[in-house]
Amino acid sequence: MRARALRLAALVGLGLLAGGCLPEAATSQGRATNGLWAWFIALSILVGAVVWTLVTLAIVRRRREPGLPRQIHGDIRIEIIWTTIPIVIVIGLFAGTLGTLNVIDARSPEAGVDVIVTAFRWQWRFDYPRESISVVGTPEQPPELVVPVDQPVHIALTAPAGDVDHAFFVPQFLFKRDAIPGRTSTFDFTVEEPGTYRGQCAEFCGTYHAQMLFSVRAVSAADYQAWLASQQAAGSALPIGTPPPVGPGGSTVPSNLPSVAPPSGGQP
Amino acid sequence: MATIADVRREPAEPIRFDLLAWLSTTDHKAIGVLYLTASGLFFLLAGLMAEVMRLELAQPGMELVSESAYNQLFTMHGTLMLLLFATPAGIGFANYLVPLQIGAADMAFPRLNALSFWMFLFGGITSLLGFASQSGAAATGWTVYAPLSENPFSPGPGMDLWIAGIGLTGLSSVIGAVNLVTTIYGRRAPGMTMLRVPIFTWNILVTAVMILFAFPPLTAALALLFIDRHFGGAFFNPALGGSPILFQHLFWFFGHPEVYIIVLPAFGIVSEVFPVFSSKPLFGYKAVIFATSAIAGLSMSVWAHHMFTTGAVNLPFFSIMSFLIAVPTGIKIFNWTATMWGGRLRFTTAMLFAIGLLYVFTIGGITGVMVASPPLDFQFQDTYFVVAHFHNVIIGGTVFGIFSGLFFWFPKMSGRRLDERLGRIAWACWIVGFTLTFIPQYVLGAEGMPRRIADYDPATGWGSLNLLSTAGAILLGLGTIPIVVAVVAALRRPPDAGPDPWEGNSLEWATSSPPPHHNFVSLPPIRSERPVFDERMRRQGIDPNTPGGGVG
Repeated sequence: MRARALRLAALVGLGLLAGGCLPEAATSQGRATNGLWAWFIALSILVGAVVWTLVTLAIVRRRREPGLPRQIHGDIRIEIIWTTIPIVIVIGLFAGTLGTLNVIDARSPEAGVDVIVTAFRWQWRFDYPRESISVVGTPEQPPELVVPVDQPVHIALTAPAGDVDHAFFVPQFLFKRDAIPGRTSTFDFTVEEPGTYRGQCAEFCGTYHAQMLFSVRAVSAADYQAWLASQQAAGSALPIGTPPPVGPGGSTVPSNLPSVAPPSGGQP
Repeated sequence: MATIADVRREPAEPIRFDLLAWLSTTDHKAIGVLYLTASGLFFLLAGLMAEVMRLELAQPGMELVSESAYNQLFTMHGTLMLLLFATPAGIGFANYLVPLQIGAADMAFPRLNALSFWMFLFGGITSLLGFASQSGAAATGWTVYAPLSENPFSPGPGMDLWIAGIGLTGLSSVIGAVNLVTTIYGRRAPGMTMLRVPIFTWNILVTAVMILFAFPPLTAALALLFIDRHFGGAFFNPALGGSPILFQHLFWFFGHPEVYIIVLPAFGIVSEVFPVFSSKPLFGYKAVIFATSAIAGLSMSVWAHHMFTTGAVNLPFFSIMSFLIAVPTGIKIFNWTATMWGGRLRFTTAMLFAIGLLYVFTIGGITGVMVASPPLDFQFQDTYFVVAHFHNVIIGGTVFGIFSGLFFWFPKMSGRRLDERLGRIAWACWIVGFTLTFIPQYVLGAEGMPRRIADYDPATGWGSLNLLSTAGAILLGLGTIPIVVAVVAALRRPPDAGPDPWEGNSLEWATSSPPPHHNFVSLPPIRSERPVFDERMRRQGIDPNTPGGGVG
């Protein structure tokens, strides 16, 4: 009875864990991760259930008679078995990991869309070098990265040399990448579902880290062209080659909050 | 060994508060108690900080504390819990128990031992002093990543006090480790070969060796950071050719072994508790030693799994090494289960926390395999999934192990048992509280809630799970009270434990509780890793190796 209750508790616990399922990914890369996750969850539930059952059985089937139990010091055969099985499992999971990693890391040869993403305290800037468009957010209005669906988006992610680490994170893409000062990191994603996806900085970057938000809006190719035209008409166009912001200014601090000493671009 | 011939018979003294004696002591047992007391106080303080953070996160829009105060709180919570509670608590148990378990009169270097305690204590206090400064304590996260920890971004004295304080405790750990390794190699009683050394002491030996490898890189990183901050260095400043990635490498080369430095002593504790309360030997004593050593070796080659999302490390290498380290950890779980198998179990509080470790730590181990996979880590890194994972490992492993060890060895240290009823209440609160606090955090992290944020948008829908998590955290806080009460109440009672309250296996149970100044009046013969068990069997006239289960 108690065994059954404990086993039920085990299943509920692992079910809860499985219930913490990843969001259904909006990108083709993220969908590969969804596939990998299914394997991990299935094997995790299996391994967890086996371990919890064995522990529970050891408790339930304990010796109840008085006196000394058999003094068993070990058993090399069973120890080899429970060493080999986990090794096989993790090698299998590693193989799946490598396959998924190849999908996520693959760079599309198609032209697609190029965007330079610059993260700085506490704001984002999206530069479209081919179209000479630049989008910067304000504390009241987080910036929007507008991209067409079904086309590869080539991101070059960076942070100014005089800034701190940040991370570009869109939960529904199942992906993040750190923006490290002085380095440029490149990756691709292809959004398959039109929609607006919440994003935010995921690497702690100081006082207003929690307010460093942005979003990605994926639209049809026609709407994307219309958006480009409206942006260029609105005059957000920059001459090609304009450098990204060199350092954060006080203006990126939310205006309703006390200003902190703005760090200068350089260091001592 | 001369030390054993030298021992004098001294009565077990009642616990009296003698300030000068505590300040000047070089006795390993007194220093062990000091370590455990100080780390216990740091634990309570860090726990209070966690409660404030959980209240701030209970609902979106809470303004209990400012952003800047919140950032200081999570920085110091992590610092206190990892470096000033979990690490020194393990060293505290080691200080008290290693000389006793190997039949020695004291540590190899008693004065160095006292020095390492006082360096740890004042280092810890120094790191906290930032709260007294106008700009507050360090607020970079316990990982103190450069460039955020550099002068332009963290200009106040809080950061410098953190560097100085943690540098001091790191040095104290290295000194303590040298002392422990020397003691275990050089001070074992006659007959105690390395393969008869109790499993807790084996875990401490491996931990101490890991400290010797892991802490110097931290000291180096902190020294370089200090040079950057005050002497015009540019080690981590990309504008002058420095590298922020270098800081992460140095930090995690310390930081990942550190995880095992805090969990191996707890594994050592439960590896003593399971055999005693199952009336069986540890299943696969040599396999557990091998698994412990394998964990130590592998732990030196997994650090960059904390850096998967930097795009600057070799993903397959660090991924496979991180997967593989799950194997020896799994072996230990199987060995403990097999130790219980067919045993005559006694469900004392010490045993309940050890069993709790089996159930809870297993989930942490499994989610650890998940974050070892870079594609999944790209989602989980720096979210509440990772927060839930490492609390799962540290609470389910280290904290449950330490609570188990406290109930197991408190009678040895004080001559008094802790109240079992209060212990069971605490255990129930911690099992339920843990589940309520951290299972919702796994879900929140999978949905993308980043860690280290003081607030979140109500539109995210994270409010209800956060409220559940906060309720769990309050239960964890309440569940700590019975343990404090049990300790205080026990100290006010007359001694009731006797030398061997649990029918133990290792040499600490062969002397009075608390032991006399030089530990032993006489030692039983040491012919296995369970000399006290052997002696008990001999006195009762039982041959434990009789096939079919001894005398029924």
